[in-house]
Amino acid sequence: MSDTLTYVYAIARDVDPAAVAALQGVGGGAVRTLDAGGVLAVVSDVDRGEFEERALEERLEDLEWLAATARAHHHVVDTLGHDHLVAPLALATVYFDDDRVRAVLDEGRATFAAVLDQLSGRAEWGVKVYGRPGGAAAAATQEKPGSGAEYLRRRRQALRETDTALDDARDAAAEVDAAVTTLAAASRSHRLQDATLSGESDPMVLNRAYLVPIDRAADLREVVASLEGHPRIRVELTGPWVPYSFAQAPEGAAP
Amino acid sequence: MVDRPNRIEIDKDEVRRDLMKLVLTIVELLRQLMERQAIRRVDQGDLTEQEEEDLGTSLMLLAEAMDELTEQFGLTPADLNLDLGPLGPLLPRDR
Repeated sequence: MSDTLTYVYAIARDVDPAAVAALQGVGGGAVRTLDAGGVLAVVSDVDRGEFEERALEERLEDLEWLAATARAHHHVVDTLGHDHLVAPLALATVYFDDDRVRAVLDEGRATFAAVLDQLSGRAEWGVKVYGRPGGAAAAATQEKPGSGAEYLRRRRQALRETDTALDDARDAAAEVDAAVTTLAAASRSHRLQDATLSGESDPMVLNRAYLVPIDRAADLREVVASLEGHPRIRVELTGPWVPYSFAQAPEGAAP
Repeated sequence: MVDRPNRIEIDKDEVRRDLMKLVLTIVELLRQLMERQAIRRVDQGDLTEQEEEDLGTSLMLLAEAMDELTEQFGLTPADLNLDLGPLGPLLPRDR
């Protein structure tokens, strides 16, 4: 039994082994490719003690270790993804040894090829939409109401706007989603982040990833730019990313 | 901590401020409820013009007094809220 496991970063196509030679992987291991005819896996050796099932469960709660591993993983995938077609796998996908990885590649060749075809010439973009605060904030800046009745009228207006602001933001976000979807080959929904997590004071109403053909990226930017200054929502576009959200991990990804 | 395990540090000012914060939070909750109730009654039209004016004035003065008190204790409107976990905040974040 060897003391290393094979860590798989991504499934790819047409990667020159020389292109990965300079890359440093998780735990400082040298990155290699395993070719299985048509599709190949980008891998490196990792310490068995660190990645064995039981040890891994504990490690995944160690934030420092997790951050370092995620950085190394992303570095490999991102560098390679710049000029190659890659389908990145989930963090900490490890196999018993190289032979096992080759066997998985052989078995799932058609699936991997289909996933790679889908990703070819496309990149992932992230769209986050936040609702803008309602009328109460705006009303506060007005000068003092002249009478009691006037005060009540203003409060009614402000409360009504606050109550509808979130609904309006959701409706507007649905329109953004529809507009971006027409440009995208695929899309995937992510969990909405709570205000405490996102660090934004405004509520998030849409968090979605889109797989967009590279030649339509300009259209996408235009759509988002046209929404600047929208009274109800603020749209945040990130990308292009390596298509993390659109690469399915092969089944049974355990050593 | 090790040699005096039963002792808790109490900062009197801090306690006073926290108590005030709690009191103001409850008053603020009542104020907002009263305000919504008042608006509902105006919408239903079962108040005379004079009653409407009086009610509005009282609520306006109450809101001003709340603002002053909050400021006096170095608090912001956002402080006057309780996070009820899965139930969300006690008061709407945006008032």
